[in-house]
Amino acid sequence: MKNRIKVERAELDMTQADLADKIGVSRQSINAIEKGKFVPSAVLALKIARLFKKPVEDIFSLEDQD
Amino acid sequence: MKASYLIPHKYKLLGWILFVIGIISGLIIFIGEYDYDILKIKVLSVYGRDGLFGTKGFFKIIENSILDEIVALCIIAGGLLVGFSKERIEDEFIYKLRKDSLVWAIIFNYVVLIFAVLFVYNFSFFDVLVFNMFTPLLFFVIRFNFLKLKSRNDEE
Repeated sequence: MKNRIKVERAELDMTQADLADKIGVSRQSINAIEKGKFVPSAVLALKIARLFKKPVEDIFSLEDQD
Repeated sequence: MKASYLIPHKYKLLGWILFVIGIISGLIIFIGEYDYDILKIKVLSVYGRDGLFGTKGFFKIIENSILDEIVALCIIAGGLLVGFSKERIEDEFIYKLRKDSLVWAIIFNYVVLIFAVLFVYNFSFFDVLVFNMFTPLLFFVIRFNFLKLKSRNDEE
């Protein structure tokens, strides 16, 4: 699964720490998600999407191997 | 991610202290061939033999140095506290790291044990048994902290 969190963050001028704080996870988690090393749960994905005020599909999308 | 078996973060430091003290003193006892007479008191032996080849018996009061018992409990309690206390920020990523470390530790432990079964014989195998009481916890704690450190260093 790939995601556009980094891009969305940049548009809002947010750091990984800012995002992590707002969602209640650690900075390491956001970093791991952005790098594609960790696939967040549906709950976390929805929280991130809500923060960016966008549908989940705009931020997360499936890849061929999924 | 809610994990009901985790205890509060404040116990982590206590866990580390017990764990490190336990392992160091455990190694000292191991090197000294368990030959210690301190803390010798009467204890309840629920099951035991008199000497190495004596008769089996249940519920006897015997004299025993409880040093090794204390050290073993230190390592076990310390390891459990370190491995199963919450992180400062406990989220689903940490939860995954903890689970992955547990799986890794069990597999690694038994791979090591397979080699020990194959290549260690006679009374030396007693040492393997002693170490194997603690290695699953030890490998878990090491792997978990290694993964945490790695995720911290991976940042841009």
